[in-house]
Amino acid sequence: MTTNTQRLGSGLALPLASLRQIAFLVEKDLRIESRSRQTLGLVTVLGVLIVTVLGLGLGAQNAMTAFSATAVLWVAYLFSGVLCFEKTMAVERNDAVLAALLMAPIDRGVIYLAKLASNLVLILAVAAIVTPVGVLFFGFDLTAAPVAFAVVMILSIVGFAAVGTLFSAMVSSSRLQGGLLAMMVFPITLPLVLVSTQLMLLTFRDHVAPGGTGLGVLIAFDLIFLTVSWLVFEWVLEP
Amino acid sequence: MCSTKTIFTRFYWLATFVLFGLAIATVCTYTPTEATMGPIQKIFYLHLPVAISTFLACLVCFIGSVGYAMKHDARWDRLAASAARVAVILCSVVLLTGMIWGRSAWGQWWTWSPRLTFSLVLWLLYVVYLMVRMSIESPQRRAVISAVYGIIAFLDVPLVYLSVRMLPDIHPGSVSLAPEMRLTLAAWFVPVLMLTAGLIATRYAIETQTDAQTPVDEAAAAAPGRFTWVGEVM
Repeated sequence: MTTNTQRLGSGLALPLASLRQIAFLVEKDLRIESRSRQTLGLVTVLGVLIVTVLGLGLGAQNAMTAFSATAVLWVAYLFSGVLCFEKTMAVERNDAVLAALLMAPIDRGVIYLAKLASNLVLILAVAAIVTPVGVLFFGFDLTAAPVAFAVVMILSIVGFAAVGTLFSAMVSSSRLQGGLLAMMVFPITLPLVLVSTQLMLLTFRDHVAPGGTGLGVLIAFDLIFLTVSWLVFEWVLEP
Repeated sequence: MCSTKTIFTRFYWLATFVLFGLAIATVCTYTPTEATMGPIQKIFYLHLPVAISTFLACLVCFIGSVGYAMKHDARWDRLAASAARVAVILCSVVLLTGMIWGRSAWGQWWTWSPRLTFSLVLWLLYVVYLMVRMSIESPQRRAVISAVYGIIAFLDVPLVYLSVRMLPDIHPGSVSLAPEMRLTLAAWFVPVLMLTAGLIATRYAIETQTDAQTPVDEAAAAAPGRFTWVGEVM
């Protein structure tokens, strides 16, 4: 009774408590990562490898267009991201940590948001290394619109992480075949890849600031899949 | 003795094939040949109804997925699975007819035009749905994951549609049809829609039979026990 009265009586306390729980869980994830260093290093090296292989395959001697440079970066983000989601969820599976987490008096939506935040920190860290490498390798000039590039890429990565976090929780719980996560995430995130490459083309080739339908699709993707993932996460999670 | 259901099924398929025959006869004899593209334009009468039927099958898959998410009843899962399978078949027909038409009209089998790209992404989304289903042994877990993927895939469709519109287009925006052409299109819509509904219903019946034949102990062994949070019990 006391708990219910407290819940009903303190409307503001609940979001604040949830934020504290999210911060606590994210801190836990990042502390594990800082001690084990098993995700970030691996994923970053994979990203750089992908950029190198694609660059060589596409003919690295010529400076790339905005379009192909964005596409190369996207391939690196997608594969690194999927590996990142797999690894961060595998950490929860080890020694039945997830079962313990599910037993804790925390809303499962909070667990989703915390996992999403941890994944975002890791992917943005990877992007912060892979993107300059791509820019450096291919002579891709960002000076015309660095803010537009960052905004489009961050909006896209948020949507990608929203879907990836949900699917990684679904896939990791069963005896599923490897590669399933990539297969599920890639077709769903195709609008993000398509829109961001087109927006980059408009920005760097045609010198038009990103906006209109493209930016709308990115924001709609983020909002729709953040909400849906948050809603169904409780249902799909199994220890 | 045949049951009423069997008689209805036979009548339904007979009517569908008769209507298909009539539609083919209409397009061969009655419909005028388009001036610019010639006889190849007649593929349009199959292409458009099948494309619309693909969306309907995707919608049924979404309804089945939402139904399972709300009711946790295996029948909704079977409906979603059946509709997804039919959607993939129909979408394959859309892609093939589109490619044949494109080869004739634009001189190449494939262009990254918005509608072709959209059809390809739609096909990929639902092929993956079927792959996901095939990869999961536990019926209960398969239903949960498929339902979530089915909902997300369908919500992704309008976003894919909006995003592909940013690609340069060579597809006709809207077409004006002669009255004979409209009638032919209507003559094709009816059997294609009947075929779609019939295929979904047949696949649903097969899924029901397969589920009924799965031994209960095997299904229970494959399904991991649901985890119950202690707080929920208390």
